Amino acid sequence: MITLQDRMVQATALAGETQQLVGRLMMLFAAGREGARELYAIVRADDDVIRLRARVDANAYPAVTPRVPAAHWFEREIHDLHGIVPEGHPRLEPLVRHGPEEREVRLPEEEDDVRLGHRGAERLAGPGVFVIPYGPVRSGVFEASQFLVQTGGEDVAYCAQRLFFKRRGAERRIGEVPLEHAVLVAERVSGTSSVAHALAFSHAIEALSRTEVPPRAQAIRRIVAELERLYNHLEVTVRECEDASLAVAQAQFAVLKERLHRLAAATAGNRYLRGVVVPGGTRIDLDTRAIDLIGSTLAGWESEWRRVLSILLRTDSFLDRLVSTGPLSAHDARDFGCVGPVARGSGIDLDTRRDLPYDGYPEFEAARHSDGDAMARMEVRFHEVDTSLELIDEAISSLTPGPTRTAPGPLTRDAALGASESARGETLYWLETGDEHTLRLCKLRAASFVNFGVFNRVFDAQVLTDFSFIEHSLGLSPAGCDA
Amino acid sequence: MIRWFLRGVSRPRVTTRYPRGEEPPPAGFRARALLDPTATSPREAGRAAQACLPGALSLDQQDRLMLDAGRCIGCGLCVDGNGDRAITMDPGYELATTSRERLVVGADVREAEIAAAALRGPFRRSLHIRHVDTGSDGAVEQEIAALANPYYDMHRLGLFFTASPRHADVLLVTGPVTRPMEQPLRRTYEAMPAPRVVIAAGTDACSGSIWTAPEVLGGVDRVLPVNVYIPGDPPTPIALLHGLLLAAGRVRQASAPHVGGAAAAAVAPAGSAT
Repeated sequence: MITLQDRMVQATALAGETQQLVGRLMMLFAAGREGARELYAIVRADDDVIRLRARVDANAYPAVTPRVPAAHWFEREIHDLHGIVPEGHPRLEPLVRHGPEEREVRLPEEEDDVRLGHRGAERLAGPGVFVIPYGPVRSGVFEASQFLVQTGGEDVAYCAQRLFFKRRGAERRIGEVPLEHAVLVAERVSGTSSVAHALAFSHAIEALSRTEVPPRAQAIRRIVAELERLYNHLEVTVRECEDASLAVAQAQFAVLKERLHRLAAATAGNRYLRGVVVPGGTRIDLDTRAIDLIGSTLAGWESEWRRVLSILLRTDSFLDRLVSTGPLSAHDARDFGCVGPVARGSGIDLDTRRDLPYDGYPEFEAARHSDGDAMARMEVRFHEVDTSLELIDEAISSLTPGPTRTAPGPLTRDAALGASESARGETLYWLETGDEHTLRLCKLRAASFVNFGVFNRVFDAQVLTDFSFIEHSLGLSPAGCDA
Repeated sequence: MIRWFLRGVSRPRVTTRYPRGEEPPPAGFRARALLDPTATSPREAGRAAQACLPGALSLDQQDRLMLDAGRCIGCGLCVDGNGDRAITMDPGYELATTSRERLVVGADVREAEIAAAALRGPFRRSLHIRHVDTGSDGAVEQEIAALANPYYDMHRLGLFFTASPRHADVLLVTGPVTRPMEQPLRRTYEAMPAPRVVIAAGTDACSGSIWTAPEVLGGVDRVLPVNVYIPGDPPTPIALLHGLLLAAGRVRQASAPHVGGAAAAAVAPAGSAT
């Protein structure tokens, strides 16, 4: 369970206090009712999780973004959803709203803050410079997202991302459905990270209701969470091979990925492991047959994986495209609060499984790489595949007979933060209790919400043909970001 | 490159024989709920309808249980603790139909009254597919992409993705249609040459499923005429293949989500290619 330190601050001091903590801004959002709105800044500083609360009486407050760049999307979201104005925000234009007046996407102006990834005065202008609007209906099978690429033909001068085409109102939906159904909604926020979202949501409910998860359920949770990580990392690998036109490699990794989905279907009844994690434990038990199937399938899988990966790492046409492509500096990764393989590929030591421990994860070494390019992010994922296989082995051997669920009782705490590490990074759910059996507020933050924020940063001095390599190396989920 | 070549030729063939042969789903797979409307007791019917988040199970005016497979997310909560065994989970992979009504089973809906014929569409052989995401959860895109992997190898059936709607025969739509995606969806459809077929892929696209916010329109057929419905959360690659082949008139459609009586006889065998 995550223990929060609470601190009340003045709205005028929120930016300064957040900056002084010298931590990572995990979430920033508005809570409370009309007329009594509060801003919550949830900050990870040293080993603590601190909630700064600031009452907003007027409909404005001094923006946090100029001091803490990681707040830039959060504050635009607050402005869109609540009409509260963060004064001094360098680029306060609609983020999540898609009204008719917001159809046109603005390219950065000269005065835009360079630190927010806008090249400002360096922006190209003149004959031969044009903008490629790419999306929301993109070539190939992709989720809806839009990119405006400004180019003179080869070099990318500027790349702006535009999301929230897929906003389905998941946060509100989680708050309004019966509590026993809410986890079904959480599983469908980002359908490829169903386990991670169900885990983060369940952790928050377990904290609210002071529920202990039985050891057997913890081990099953670790098994399915790591299986999910495996097929997501494989998906990124398949996409990168496709970009590099390595048809055989693409097919070989796709076969490995498909085998994991078939394993999930055979053991959990769903190819994306839905319906396993519920608040208080797991809904299904893995019987001996299922455990044996997982063990034997992964043993064969691992040797195939090693063989194919070793060929890939000796394929120059693959390495050439990824090495030094899409670099993200440690400085930017830290400033913008990146998480997951994107952060770890830029040398940031960060892994929710270890930093905010849950479900009995044993000690393990979080993969890290200092290069910050697309290859570094892939190397982190390759390393994590090994770690996940070890963690599954460990979880299988630690399975003891016993119950798989403690039914959560009434919600006796007011508010709680739930976290998990998806394949894309830290996934957060902030829940507040209404009465003892309902939720008053759900605020979720998928890993992709923060990682999408640096999209334009990684295109500095890149060429157009590297677009898909860079995009896929970030491993983003528009569905999770948009919620 | 020689290493990849050797790797490629040294691996055994894994491609499914579907639709010529069967591709059985694993036991315990939860594709959709099945209802035996004759077996429900009023008490259990009310309980089952309450246990269903997307409203796939509901009570008709006489408090009898109805099932709409176009809303079912396969969570299985209705089966947990169901007393009269009127509801079971269907592991089936072939779920696509050509009408929304065929996905619904109630006491008054008779299987025989709904046409079971294959879609007499304009296409018989090859299809070019344009995909549009209108707010999916992201898993169905991966299942669609999986159609190109060696297990399913859609190209062997003459199915191809195309980047331009101008070259497309099929518009494959995923997601419950969010407001910002309504116009892009319409414009993609309008850019396609006639004849064209619209497929709603996944429970979200069939009905809107669990999403009820004002940001969501609720099902592709609120915006465009839909020719084929593929329920599933997400639909499996085989279910997608079945729906695509149904659009080409090459297989028969799925039976209604119904057990007992005439329904069992109406189940179309796989591979009844025309």
